[in-house]
Amino acid sequence: MMKKIKIAFKPWMGFVLFGIVLALIPGLAQNTTFIKSSTIVTIGGTLIFAIAALGLNILLGYSGLISLGTAGFMGLAAYLSAYMTVDLGLPFEVSLIVAVLIPTLIGVLVGLISLKIEGMYLAIATLAVSEILRKTFEEFEFITNGFSGKSARFPQLLGFIQLDRASTYYLIVVVLVIAMLLTYNMMNGQVGRAFNAMRGSESAASAMGVYSLKYRLIAFALATILASLAGVMYVHFIRFAYPSTWNLKLSLDFLAMIVIGGLRSIYGTVLGAFIVFAIPDLFLKQIPFFNQLSYVLNGVLIIVVIMFYPSGLINIGFDIKRLWLKLRKGIHDAGK
Amino acid sequence: MMLENNELLKIEALSIQFGGLKAVDQLSFTIHEKEIFGLIGPNGAGKTTVFNCITQFYKPNHGNIYFRNIKDEVINLVDLKVHQVIRQGVVRTFQNVELIRELSILDNVLIGAHIDYKTGVISQALRLPKAVKEEAIYKAKAEEILKKLGIYERKDMLVFGQPYGILKKVELARTFMSDPKLVILDEPAAGLNDVETLQLAKTIRQIRDDFNCSVLLVEHDMRLVMDVCDTICAINFGKFLALGSAKEIQKNPLVQEAYLGKEEHDE
Amino acid sequence: MSIFIQIFLRSLETGSVYALAALGIILVFRTSNITNFSQGALGMFNTFVVVSIFNNFGVPLWVAIIGGLISALVIGMMIDLVIIRHTKKVSPVAKQIITLGLIMILVGLAPIFFGVDPLNLPRLIPEGNLTLAGANISYNGLFNILFGLMVMGGLFYILQYTKVGLAIRTTASNEYTARLMGVPTKTVTLGAWAVGSMLGVISGVMIAPTTTVTLNLMDVVQINAFVAAVLGGFQTFYGPVIGAYIIGVVSNLLLFYVSPVWGGQILYVLILLFLTVRPYGLFGKKVVKKV
Repeated sequence: MMKKIKIAFKPWMGFVLFGIVLALIPGLAQNTTFIKSSTIVTIGGTLIFAIAALGLNILLGYSGLISLGTAGFMGLAAYLSAYMTVDLGLPFEVSLIVAVLIPTLIGVLVGLISLKIEGMYLAIATLAVSEILRKTFEEFEFITNGFSGKSARFPQLLGFIQLDRASTYYLIVVVLVIAMLLTYNMMNGQVGRAFNAMRGSESAASAMGVYSLKYRLIAFALATILASLAGVMYVHFIRFAYPSTWNLKLSLDFLAMIVIGGLRSIYGTVLGAFIVFAIPDLFLKQIPFFNQLSYVLNGVLIIVVIMFYPSGLINIGFDIKRLWLKLRKGIHDAGK
Repeated sequence: MMLENNELLKIEALSIQFGGLKAVDQLSFTIHEKEIFGLIGPNGAGKTTVFNCITQFYKPNHGNIYFRNIKDEVINLVDLKVHQVIRQGVVRTFQNVELIRELSILDNVLIGAHIDYKTGVISQALRLPKAVKEEAIYKAKAEEILKKLGIYERKDMLVFGQPYGILKKVELARTFMSDPKLVILDEPAAGLNDVETLQLAKTIRQIRDDFNCSVLLVEHDMRLVMDVCDTICAINFGKFLALGSAKEIQKNPLVQEAYLGKEEHDE
Repeated sequence: MSIFIQIFLRSLETGSVYALAALGIILVFRTSNITNFSQGALGMFNTFVVVSIFNNFGVPLWVAIIGGLISALVIGMMIDLVIIRHTKKVSPVAKQIITLGLIMILVGLAPIFFGVDPLNLPRLIPEGNLTLAGANISYNGLFNILFGLMVMGGLFYILQYTKVGLAIRTTASNEYTARLMGVPTKTVTLGAWAVGSMLGVISGVMIAPTTTVTLNLMDVVQINAFVAAVLGGFQTFYGPVIGAYIIGVVSNLLLFYVSPVWGGQILYVLILLFLTVRPYGLFGKKVVKKV
């Protein structure tokens, strides 16, 4: 009988390991025909969306505040960063900070509104904000180039390290892992408990001293910071931004990612991002007959997943565990 | 001196009306240190409204609520916002047990320490040493309280699916995290059977003796109230009826009249 | 003054389009507790059906429209029967994601069935103007306004004065109790989806002649329909309808008198400000939670 060796498995190790796995993917792209180089773009895009979705998870999953405005904020950050690096020639780091700061200020303003408006009304209100932003993208041509789209370049770090697609991908992985780690720490501490309390019972939360105003603003701030971060990474990875991208459908996609992956689940958010965004590109498009139907099948997939796993696919872990235990017991009993 | 030495909470001419209805009308009573104080009255008498006014969940129209807080200052609760009340040392439980189902029992109890946390969002995100230390301190405190209430073994279990009696204890544990001086219990016996109610009586006395609090018990269950309360105040239609010991209240004709002939409805 | 009246009349037409879509949304929302984000896509898809029938079968437009109504009815019913009925355990938020899946299915199927080129749908009444107090309105526009009012008037009559309407209102008020009381809530939801879908295609057919029939046909309509529901309040059936007309009128006035580019957005800002004062819309009521 082997003695069981217990390793203290700290959560941060999981995230770092996860990051390492993600980072290996471009390497595999060189060596197999199954994973093409365009896969890097798809997976990189998925991870970028996961960052924004993580922010929405903080807002909806933990704090119970519905926002359909994620797309607008992400787009705003994307355009700001593109404009500052390309037109104003500012360093990437500076443009990153400003492009995250400005949308976050607007996000906090929306957070103020959330004190009075709730539920479906808040959702549509955030949608209205996002639509106003989208119109801004179409009209403020001197910043956004309007319908022609705005281009940007791969990031240049510290003024002289020019990244290419692969290294930008690594940067995205690093940003995602840091986002996951920080979110995990916050949600498992006092702040996260305050968010949960606000979501579970506003009156109990107030009675326990949770100041609604402060924590709603923090929730919106965190969500917008992450959405903006995603926007900056998007424009410097995809290197192009169009106004039509930042629409209701995209905001709904983010909602789908966190619901499918599992509300309040950090790994689940990434899983959800893969299912909503990457699966059609990576798998469905490869099957010859289904090529045109990939969008349709993606919709069917989303519906099926919700109907069978209404609490999110991350719970599939429990089912697999149960199945495994049953199998083990079956084998054990058969051996008797 | 608004409060005498051993007085803890004094409500003075408390009044609130909703529309044309006077829910609480010129009510006054005093709760002392380490006292179990019962507030009774028939259905609709205004008991819930009274303590919602004390905790500033409703803002009273008139009256004062003097309280000797944890810093031994005498303040008027009426000047505060609802989320500031707990900081002064007044906590309440909820009849509907407002716990967070998806969190563990321990996490739910830790919410009670919310106001004591000094580290900010950023420190927590980065898990700086002071944040880790603070978390450990409050975790230990929560575990102590859970042990005192006899539910320590369940600390990591999710609140979802726990029996009702356990949930009530978790809620109590949560209130103790803030080292309160006054605990307001909102119909704690609702949904409990006889055996559980006896247990509850023991727990209430434990609150007074082990945790050094006063208890304001708002309750329908007469046997519990008469059994456990040092002083009882009876109200009806938001107005003061009588104040005294259990025996005195039972013999009071006004109180009898308020309850007599009425079918006791369970909520 | 005549310009004002002209804009006002034109806005009533726009308002009708929004109102029909908004009514479709609130009907489904209040009876099955789902925010149907695919309302626009449904309308778009079925409008494509109308154009298809019209172009390929050489029948009069009104026949094609009836074809579209039937298609809308069938699709709406299928959605309820195949999907919505089996979502009892699903949270309200997750239900909204289902409607997102529906969008993807509809938007994915449309090019396969109807091709990728923008199509044209003519007006029902191709020519002719009416002059009213110095303002011009096309016969078609007038027809749209009146037809819209007629449809909604009919639906409201059914809601208020018939047994069917009572069943709908009871289900909308409290589905669980309604079921216990013997109201056929399953049929009510089925009907709601069907009618909602049909309202969507009427809306689409009304707006299609002013633009081309593409995948994005109903995008603006849908957003304004939701804003109308928020403005009018989700608690009543008439709230969103009135909200839709208000949006139709005010946005056109803003576009003409204030800013042809930002008129719509200014309206959104005004509505947001309005919501901070009345967070449940014009006719909404707050549900008070007792602690």
